[in-house]
Amino acid sequence: MKFPRTSGGFYAWLFQRLTGILLVILLLIHFAVTHNLPKGGTLTYAVVAPRLATATWKVFDLMFLVCALFHGLNGVWMVIQDYVHSETAQMWIYYGLCTLGLILLILGAITVIPFKA
Amino acid sequence: MLEKPSVIRHYRWHVGTIAWLLHRITGLLLIFYLVLHIWVIHHISQGPAGFNKVMGVVQTPIFLLLEIGLLGCVLYHAFNGLRIIVIEFSKEGVEAHKQIYAAMMAVAIILFLIGGVPMFIHFLHALAG
Repeated sequence: MKFPRTSGGFYAWLFQRLTGILLVILLLIHFAVTHNLPKGGTLTYAVVAPRLATATWKVFDLMFLVCALFHGLNGVWMVIQDYVHSETAQMWIYYGLCTLGLILLILGAITVIPFKA
Repeated sequence: MLEKPSVIRHYRWHVGTIAWLLHRITGLLLIFYLVLHIWVIHHISQGPAGFNKVMGVVQTPIFLLLEIGLLGCVLYHAFNGLRIIVIEFSKEGVEAHKQIYAAMMAVAIILFLIGGVPMFIHFLHALAG
């Protein structure tokens, strides 16, 4: 089977940068609010649950999830293409990464969306 | 027959090469962390008992120490990533790439200290019980 030896082209490049910028912003908020940095503190259900039960944080976390999964797995795919040169192997790894992404997306979504404190 | 230039046979350790390699290494560590993070946080669906149990495990001293490394990886990857974007989108950026790297790393180091020092103190408290 012919498997295209490209990084996904322009859109993969563009979305890697757009999600990258978004992740910097989302992560700074995540550290400041969820991890209460720079003060810090122990995270328990009582601390995390009330926030996760609100619609605002559900939207925030889902956006975070989608951006991080795309950025991370697209990044792994870029690394793979530098070291794995067999088209067949690339194809299997590509579908493997897509499957992993889908599983993690579902796992994250079923954690966040139906959550009630 | 053409002879391969030496630049193809060997990496040359310029600022850009080191920046690239560290970006790659921190990136791979971060995706590994992300998978674990999604799995750990999923335990919140089990309610307070299940969540507090798993959170207790990931807040033991060894994990608190590793988390400081995680903050370092995140900050390096984030600010080197911004450097890449600046360089790609501006001619001036290419010319001043070393200064931009230095500036980005300065911001990353300051944020690392702001976040990392309290995390280290928290680690020491956890270690003392």
